[in-house]
Amino acid sequence: MRIRLDRLSKSFGAVQVLHELSMTVEPGEFLVLLGPSGCGKTTALRMIAGLETASGGRIFIGERDVTDVLPKYRDVAMVFQSNALYPHKTVAQNIAYPLVLRKTPAAERDRAVREVARQVQLDALLDRYPRQLSGGQRQRVALARAMVRRPAAFLMDEPLSNLDAKLRVHMRSELKHMQHELGVTTVYVTHDQIEAMTLAHRVAILNQGRIQQLGTPREIYNDPENLFVAGFVGSPPMNFLEGAMRNGAFAGPGFGLNTPAAAHAGAAVMGVRPEDCRTVAAGQGRIEAEIYATELTGDHTLVTCRIGEQFAVVKMDKNYEQAIGTPVGIDFDVDHAFFFDAASQGRIRMPTTPAPQSA
Amino acid sequence: MTGAVPPRSWASRLFEPRRLGRQAPATRVLVYAGLLFWTFVVLFPFYWLLVTSLKLPIHVADGPNYLPFVDFTPSPHAWHYIFVEIGRDTFRPYLNSVIIAGASTALAVVVGSMAAYALARIDYRPKLGTIGLFVVALAAVVVAVIAFGVPWQLAAVAGIAVFVFLARALAGRFRRSVGNGDILFWIISQRILPPVVAAIPIYVMFQQLGLLDTHLALILTYMTVNLPIVVWLMYDFFASIPTDLEESAQIDGASRYRIFFDVVLPLAKPGLAATSLLVLVLAWNEYLLALFLSTVDAQTMPLLVSAQNATRGPQWWYMSVLIVIMILPVTAVAVALQKFIARGLLIGAVKG
Repeated sequence: MRIRLDRLSKSFGAVQVLHELSMTVEPGEFLVLLGPSGCGKTTALRMIAGLETASGGRIFIGERDVTDVLPKYRDVAMVFQSNALYPHKTVAQNIAYPLVLRKTPAAERDRAVREVARQVQLDALLDRYPRQLSGGQRQRVALARAMVRRPAAFLMDEPLSNLDAKLRVHMRSELKHMQHELGVTTVYVTHDQIEAMTLAHRVAILNQGRIQQLGTPREIYNDPENLFVAGFVGSPPMNFLEGAMRNGAFAGPGFGLNTPAAAHAGAAVMGVRPEDCRTVAAGQGRIEAEIYATELTGDHTLVTCRIGEQFAVVKMDKNYEQAIGTPVGIDFDVDHAFFFDAASQGRIRMPTTPAPQSA
Repeated sequence: MTGAVPPRSWASRLFEPRRLGRQAPATRVLVYAGLLFWTFVVLFPFYWLLVTSLKLPIHVADGPNYLPFVDFTPSPHAWHYIFVEIGRDTFRPYLNSVIIAGASTALAVVVGSMAAYALARIDYRPKLGTIGLFVVALAAVVVAVIAFGVPWQLAAVAGIAVFVFLARALAGRFRRSVGNGDILFWIISQRILPPVVAAIPIYVMFQQLGLLDTHLALILTYMTVNLPIVVWLMYDFFASIPTDLEESAQIDGASRYRIFFDVVLPLAKPGLAATSLLVLVLAWNEYLLALFLSTVDAQTMPLLVSAQNATRGPQWWYMSVLIVIMILPVTAVAVALQKFIARGLLIGAVKG
């Protein structure tokens, strides 16, 4: 079912954590709310669930206005960061609880529990208690409990953040597959950009209670709206070089760059991703720099270069080797450079170079 | 967790848990000696009671005799007296004690844990002005009834009406308010007052109501006296239950009452067991208020015990029999509740 937020606001006392948030989650869509801690993403999710009241704005699930509806009547299922399993109930009882509360006949309930337990591979553990399960198993019980009653929407609050790295990768693909199978509208909160990029149909990036950009993972990555989105998504993060724009040219620290037809004039920031840069012999690149550090991460080498007082990271081949202090040139394609207004932090778009769309 | 173990002070080493089986023999002997000594300290009074209950007055007067058949010849005299000669007078207070302690404990635990749960989960912000208004209205009702002879029903209705009207009219003007912490402190502060101060007013109240020497009077009094303890102890247990569990149940479709009985109470079982036991023991052994509020029909065991200290001086042998039979049911309850007073019930609920 469609979830629609219409100018949703939330204040705790004098602190406003959400500012007129508006967005629509399409039926069957997997939407990820991504942002740093304290950006209001969990609050937004809890408001959709009904665990927090709205200070302003409306929430619609399907065609129904649920803004003032109790959580139990909203027909959503939520998976908590902490699993929130009932420790005094067995796995089967945990999964069955939503059905028990809905007075589903026992036979039908048993069938549903078995069916959903099979889907998440818990059939052998139905008689165990949560304390006898591993972290991943507990998370699967929490998922099964959410799935068992076919809700209008799944709400997930960092469900994978308590798992170890290896299990997290595994559960991520499980989750994606399951959502695809069930086709249930899902809103997923995380601060982990990899989770967001891999799981989402669309990502909403939040900062300080405002949506910074809402789009497919590819759009977010290839066409960031502003400095925050550009810096938040990508690992290692995008390089930012401060400078000024004047007469269709960007003047950075010790280098200049033609930016055809850019109408902007004044302080600006140029951003370019580490993987779009390469180091070349000194004097042959666009920017003159010297090597500050090199870090081998396994499948590639991160080269930190010093450009005057600023730094830029270049992603190079794993066999790259240079001594610290070596003067080098940094080269990149102008099409891959983004420009932002230093004051408003907004993107400065180039009329002649169309924004690189999904390749 | 490899590398050098950080040096520990002798004080921290002293309190580290250690397996007894791994200790040197000398240490083990010392530990067992200490444990045996403390067991003796704890159990000796019980032994003394049992032995004294089997003595004749002459043996008690004889000085410290501990070993039956060696120091003295045991006699069923005291048991015969308590169970047969005054049998009916023993049985009645015994039943009274069971009814009064049981009912007051059950009520205090049910009402108290609900209050504690509410305080642990809901933010109350009563305005100071509204509380002041209530006190003023109450005082006005009392003055009207006592000084001006207004019928109390009329005064009560008028008082409530005036309070509600003024509270609604003035609520917006009151700024200062109190929070849950203040309410909790107010509740526990009921126990700061020595009970003897309240005994006379309570006596007068039940006299006016015509409830002196009834079970109801004692049950209500004990419940009221024990409520603060239940609220205070259970508040901590409820506060330690993760709210995620309750929110999850809320989304799964449970009502507040359903959450309380399905999720919260089962998890608070250890706390409930410990609190019930404590409150039961307090009610079972209560003497002062029982002395004021009961004479014959509602007389409880502590009164019967003290009644053995009569004109003929303390009759230790009868007292011992009564105390032995008084200890038994509470011990049985403690043993029965023991298995609930175990920790670790929350493992698996949330991570860590």
